[in-house]
Amino acid sequence: MTESPSKVVIVPCSGIGKSYGSVSREAAYEVVEDLRPERTQLAALALLVMGDEASQALVRENPVIAIDGCKLACAAKMVQESGGQIAREFAVLEVYRRYRQFKPQGITELNQGGRLLAHALAEEIAAQVDQMGGSRG
Amino acid sequence: MVELPEKKVGIIACSGEELPEGTAARLAALKVLEQLRPANTVTICLPLFLAGGEGDRAFARYYPTIAVDGCNRRCAARGTEMYSNRPAAGLVVGQLVLEHGLGPLEGRRQLNPAGRQAVDLAADRLAGLVDEIMGQSWNRRSGVYSVPESRQGLPEKATTAEIPQGDISPCACGSGIPVQKVMIAGRPVDLVALPLIFEQFFTQGKLPAPGTDHALLEIVKIYNPVPVGAEDSYAEALRRAYQVFCAQKQNAQPGLLNASKE
Repeated sequence: MTESPSKVVIVPCSGIGKSYGSVSREAAYEVVEDLRPERTQLAALALLVMGDEASQALVRENPVIAIDGCKLACAAKMVQESGGQIAREFAVLEVYRRYRQFKPQGITELNQGGRLLAHALAEEIAAQVDQMGGSRG
Repeated sequence: MVELPEKKVGIIACSGEELPEGTAARLAALKVLEQLRPANTVTICLPLFLAGGEGDRAFARYYPTIAVDGCNRRCAARGTEMYSNRPAAGLVVGQLVLEHGLGPLEGRRQLNPAGRQAVDLAADRLAGLVDEIMGQSWNRRSGVYSVPESRQGLPEKATTAEIPQGDISPCACGSGIPVQKVMIAGRPVDLVALPLIFEQFFTQGKLPAPGTDHALLEIVKIYNPVPVGAEDSYAEALRRAYQVFCAQKQNAQPGLLNASKE
C-alpha cells in the first residue's frame, strides 16, 4: 500500500433534527480524531454552503467521503456543487440496515445503539480510507 | 389579513463541525428546541437551503428565524439571508464566550466545561429571543416586526395551533413546508404554503369565486414571488387549483363545506 500525500476529506451531514445526523457526525469525529487522524480531515458543510474558498479547494483537491443522514444527501450534493469528487458516499440509513441491532435514538446525546452504529460506520469509513491508499493513523 | 396557522420561530444553527463553537451552537439550538421552547420552535439545517426544495428555501419566509453561529463567519445568518430570508435575530457563540470571559472552548466532539457553559448561556439567550419574537407581530412579506397598537402594553398570548404536515418528505431536520405545483400560463410553478392556504380558506367556508381569487392571490404573494404583470394568470390558476381542492374535499366528505361555513 502506498502512502498518499493528500488527506481524505470527511464531510458529514449537518442534520440536527434526527438521530441519523448525529450518527453521521459522531462517526466522522471518530474517524478523524481516533481511527485515522493522520490520513483524514473534517470539512464543515456550512462553509461549503457559503462557498468558502478554502473549503471548496479542500474538497476539489482531495478525495472526499460524504456521510449523509437522510435521502436528501446534503453532504454529497454540496461536495459535488463545490466541484469535489466523491470517492465514497455513506448513507447512515443504509448502514443501519446492516446493523439492525444498533437502533439510534437521541440527538443531543446518542443512546448506546447510536454510538455503536456510529462506531460501526466509522470502522467502515476507516477501511475505505485504507483502500484509498492511506496508512493507519 | 388572513392568518395562516400558528407562528413559530425557526432556529438555524451553523453546526460548524470543525470548531467547538459550532458544536456549542448546535447544542444550544437543540436545547431550545427540545427543552426550553419546544412548543414555539422549529428548525432546519443550513445545507437544505441548497440541497432541498422550494419548501425548504421558503423556511425563513414562513417562520421568523434566529441564526445561531459558532464564529464570526456567521454562515447560518448569511446563508439564511442569501437563500431564504433575513433572520429576525442572531447570535454568535464566539462573541458570547468573549463577553462572558469563558475561556477557550475545546472538544468539538465532547465540549469542555467552558463549552458546556457556553451552550447554557447561548440557549438562554436564544430562548429570550424566541420569547421576544413570539410577542411581536411578524410581517412575512417585509421581514420586520411590529407590535400592533391594539396589543401595545398588553401581555402577548402565544399561539399553539400546529402546522399540519404537508406533502414534502421531511429530512433529518424535518422542515417540510408544504409546496404545491400549479400550472400557470402553461408552466408548472411550485407555490409555497398553498396547501395550507387552501385548507384555511376552505375551513372558513370561502367558495371559489372572483372575490376569493383576489384574496388567495394576496396571501400567495406573501410566500411566493409573483412576477409583475402575471397576477391575472396566477389568480386564474389559483382559482382552478382551489376548485379542484374544494371538489376533492367535498368528495371525501360530502357536506363538509356547508358545515364549515356554519
